Amino acid sequence: MNFDFLPKYYMLFLDGTKYTILIAVFAVLFGILLGILFSLMRLSKVKVLNCIATVYIEFVRGTPLLVQLYIIYFGLPKLGINFPEIEAFGSSFPDVMAGIIAMSLNSGAYVAEIIRSGIQSVDKGQMEAARSLGMGSSMAMRYVVLPQAIRNILPALGNEFVTIIKDSSITSVIGIHELMYNADTVRGNTFRPFEPLIIAALIYFVLTFTVSSLLHKFERRLSLSDRG
Amino acid sequence: MIEVKNLNKDYGNLSVLKDINVNIEKGEVVVIIGPSGAGKSTFLRCLNLLETPTSGEIIFEGKNVTKKGTDINKIREKMGMVFQQFNLFPNMKVMDNITLAPIKVKGQDENSAKETAHRLLKKIGLEDKSDAYPNQLSGGQKQRIAIARALAMSPDVMLFDEPTSALDPEMVGEVLNVMKELAGEGMTMVVVTHEMGFAREVGSRILFMDDGKIVEEGKPKDIFSNPKNPRTKDFLSKVLSNDF
Ligand SMILES: Nc1ncnc2c1ncn2[C@@H]1O[C@H](COP(=O)(O)OP(=O)(O)OP(=O)(O)O)[C@@H](O)[C@H]1O
Ligand SMILES: [Mg+2]
Repeated sequence: MNFDFLPKYYMLFLDGTKYTILIAVFAVLFGILLGILFSLMRLSKVKVLNCIATVYIEFVRGTPLLVQLYIIYFGLPKLGINFPEIEAFGSSFPDVMAGIIAMSLNSGAYVAEIIRSGIQSVDKGQMEAARSLGMGSSMAMRYVVLPQAIRNILPALGNEFVTIIKDSSITSVIGIHELMYNADTVRGNTFRPFEPLIIAALIYFVLTFTVSSLLHKFERRLSLSDRG
Repeated sequence: MIEVKNLNKDYGNLSVLKDINVNIEKGEVVVIIGPSGAGKSTFLRCLNLLETPTSGEIIFEGKNVTKKGTDINKIREKMGMVFQQFNLFPNMKVMDNITLAPIKVKGQDENSAKETAHRLLKKIGLEDKSDAYPNQLSGGQKQRIAIARALAMSPDVMLFDEPTSALDPEMVGEVLNVMKELAGEGMTMVVVTHEMGFAREVGSRILFMDDGKIVEEGKPKDIFSNPKNPRTKDFLSKVLSNDF
């Protein structure tokens, strides 16, 4: 093992980490928004909406992220959707957007499932009790079911965040200079096949471990303040 | 007060309620008894549309509950329900369990809702539990709170689906006492129960259900001492021999 390349190349790792975090954060945010939208569609009594959401979720869960990423990357320009190049991102803004969009669309499907199973895990009697007191279904959902479902949804969302951080490495294939891509660059420049990957792995681990520890703290707070 | 006409309920091709006709008058305590699977819960849950009847009509205080366009939430405000499994909201304190619906549904202000809740808690003997969470209570206490929660909406009728069946035997009495007191105050009640002592003592009318039908109905003393239908006889001889 020889890490002599670090003083010269550490900036590449830091820059890559920035992009990894950027992509993961936006993918999680948009993923949650999409997930809420899709889970509402699945809960809705309108058959068409329900059907669209179901097909979408099944499709996303049944195809590889890599394929989805390529479809978005090559498909968006075909549909006439081109993102401008923005100074701050160098020339990579369109690529970063494609990466974020693909990751968000992917994550949205998983988040929708997380929300749905969180809601389903709340005992049916809770909804019935609320309805029997004269609450409408959305009021019962808001005041009775969701506050209980959240306890199952939040930890799973945290896991989804961790998954996204790791899976974002796949966006290196479309040339986004995130952590994995930059580790590869260092590998090519230094002719050291191994050590740059160790550094990348360590950084990924620090990111995911931080997220999951924060989450555990938060979960404990939840279970303390709410003794179910 | 509640008029049930030609009520039918099917699950797929399983017919669970078959042409039920009943009138429930104000102030009555109607006790429904019958073997497991007879359709007692289904009947009760059809009254406030927790189950949707396949056909038939339910008229409550002059309003057709089953008609499309009826605001079922308004009707449920007037029909309290108590479940076998209590169904208290586990993430809320007792006080919030009781005041949630009066505040959100009826728009009561928090103070008057709390006042009502305190009065109800006192009535059921659980004044000191307003800050407890449901999992800190015994089964009997939970069920009494559930009754208070339903009463907080000041319903005109209370529906009970086997309110004591999930309780340890030593807790059955405290819940039945609350129900008895309620009946004594003139509350209209429909009670599904296996507690024959309660049925006999508190019931103003007994409905015996079997196989989706009301097989026999009458005053408790008539049903218990002189059942006419062989199935009623058979059922009563079984349950009463277990009833030491
Ligand atoms: N959601 C459902 N889907 C299909 N069948 C059902 C459903 N709910 C109830 N049933 C059936 O309807 C019949 C009547 O059920 P119900 O719960 O009303 O009986 P019950 O008289 O309350 O019995 P118990 O004393 O066991 O509570 C049973 O055969 C039951 O299996
Ligand atoms: Mg039942």
